[in-house]
Amino acid sequence: MKLFTSYNRILASITLTGLLAIGILFYQTLGQYINREIEDHLYEELLEVKDFAHVKNILPSPEGFDGVILEYKKLQKIANKREVFADTNFYNPKKKHQESGRYLKTQVLLNGKPYEVKIIASKFESQEQIKSIVLIILLPVLILLMFLWLVNRILIRKTWLPFKQLLHNIKTFNINKDEAFKPIETKTEEFKELNDAMMEVTLKIKSDYEEIKLFTENASHEMMTPLAVINSKLDTLLQSNSLQKADSEILEDLYLATSKLTKLNQSLLLLVKIDNNQLQSKEHINLEKLIKDKIVYFQEFIQERKLQLTVELDKAVVYANRSLIEILINNLFSNAIRHNFDGGKIDIRLHGNSLHFSNSSVQPELDPNKIFERFYKDNTSDGTGLGLAILKQVCLRQNYNLLYTYQKGLHTFCITH
Amino acid sequence: MKFLIVEDEESLRKSIAQYLAAEGNICDWASTYDQAYQKISIYNYDCILLDLTLPDGDGILLLKYLKKLNKSDGVLVISARNSLNQKIEGLSLGADDYLIKPFHLSELYARIMAIVRRRNYNGNNIVTYNELEIDTSNKEVKVNERLVYLTKKEFDLLLYFVSNKNKVISKSAAVEHIWGDDADMADSLDFIYTHIKNVRKKLTEAGCKEYFQSVYGVGYKFTDR
Repeated sequence: MKLFTSYNRILASITLTGLLAIGILFYQTLGQYINREIEDHLYEELLEVKDFAHVKNILPSPEGFDGVILEYKKLQKIANKREVFADTNFYNPKKKHQESGRYLKTQVLLNGKPYEVKIIASKFESQEQIKSIVLIILLPVLILLMFLWLVNRILIRKTWLPFKQLLHNIKTFNINKDEAFKPIETKTEEFKELNDAMMEVTLKIKSDYEEIKLFTENASHEMMTPLAVINSKLDTLLQSNSLQKADSEILEDLYLATSKLTKLNQSLLLLVKIDNNQLQSKEHINLEKLIKDKIVYFQEFIQERKLQLTVELDKAVVYANRSLIEILINNLFSNAIRHNFDGGKIDIRLHGNSLHFSNSSVQPELDPNKIFERFYKDNTSDGTGLGLAILKQVCLRQNYNLLYTYQKGLHTFCITH
Repeated sequence: MKFLIVEDEESLRKSIAQYLAAEGNICDWASTYDQAYQKISIYNYDCILLDLTLPDGDGILLLKYLKKLNKSDGVLVISARNSLNQKIEGLSLGADDYLIKPFHLSELYARIMAIVRRRNYNGNNIVTYNELEIDTSNKEVKVNERLVYLTKKEFDLLLYFVSNKNKVISKSAAVEHIWGDDADMADSLDFIYTHIKNVRKKLTEAGCKEYFQSVYGVGYKFTDR
């Protein structure tokens, strides 16, 4: 919930409850006041009925006496002289419909005979009056409140505009992009502080990130010359005439380890290079042809492992950096071949703007949140653990969507743009 | 042939020199920019191996100097940086090839031989080894004048071995030569065996002698000795 939605909600509920309480109280008080007035009037009517009976020696007609309705009931004797007031609904013979009213009920002697007399007066008009009064007072208050709420809303929106802008800038800030964090223009002290703090943080993040990249790059480069020395020494050793079988086994292991280290180093450098956006020149690339070429390129690996290759390729041309796209396709292929089992499957589908690479594997479903992390791999894997991280990085750089799914024993990487 | 190795890392320089000298080549070396500058000024080489990062200067300047002298020495740039810009700059300044560290000596030698071939024979690039004849520009292999059909990878592999004749080439080096950076497949090393077996079969069927020798499973040698 937005800050001001919750603020407004609290404010609105207090205002409405208050208004309602005041309204009810007001209505009640007014109602009681009117009731008392009617009761006075009814009492006077009772006296008049007594006078009328005394003077004229007959009872007044039940309808049409001074605008009130009279009811008589003969009694044996008077039991209770008390006057009772209460609300009732009665039939108004003049208006010919039911109406709410108030009555006075008491037992009196009329012309020497005991009667129970009920005098009913209409409350209709006084109720209308109350309604008008309440409306006249409450309506302006309601209008005022609404106006205030509207003004509040506009003001708040205006005041928080810099905050929204700042939030937008924070969201769009990307450490991988070259542009720095965009500060906002504001006169509000709090936002200014937030802005400055964000500036500082992003600058620090950027410089730290650059430093890490530079370090990775330099460290990897510095390792290349010693690796070259090791490689050349191994090659020299291999030429020795006195090489025994045991020596050659050691040599083979050394070769493997050196080549793995080299590959690791190259992958790290490649990651930095992609991060640094050093591969920028773009061209139109025929994906269909590129994939076909790569199938030829990898055919020995595919044949050797007796992999079943299913290929569905539509025509597709992308505008991108050739090196990046080649790295992407290479990685998809080596991934699909490396983690497969002998006699397994590879499906490649290129339709519209999506490319699917599926492969069978000895491995169960992988954690889609982790597989693209650097050095995430199972212990049996011979790879560098950077292949998928590079894949992800290339997709990020090209603004492609990369999705991993697992279904019926097939691991699928889907790239869309 | 006469080579100049410009490399400040002594142990690497020594290994390269040793590898090259074993084939009867003469190897000269320089470990600094100044030394290299002097040697380039005075002597002519078939090929110069040039490391671009020298302690007292930029190897690129040596390339410019060579161009100014209008010499016909072949140049193979060796660099620790896999930088496309540097590569383009080096090649545009007259370098013949660009090799990134680390590399196998067999790869280095194959590249040197390719440069020398291109420089000396002006397009007519035939490499012969007894009854074997390899035309590097038309990518054709003949045994006793008879054409042998090889796939592109098989051809590359054969040329690689012939360029490094009498040398043991490790399986890693052969794999990297054929598949380059993608040679990190789990069992790619076994494929070299299959490949060599195929090449061997095609050659011997055409009447070629058996020149491939396995060296304890770590590598292969192409030799008639």
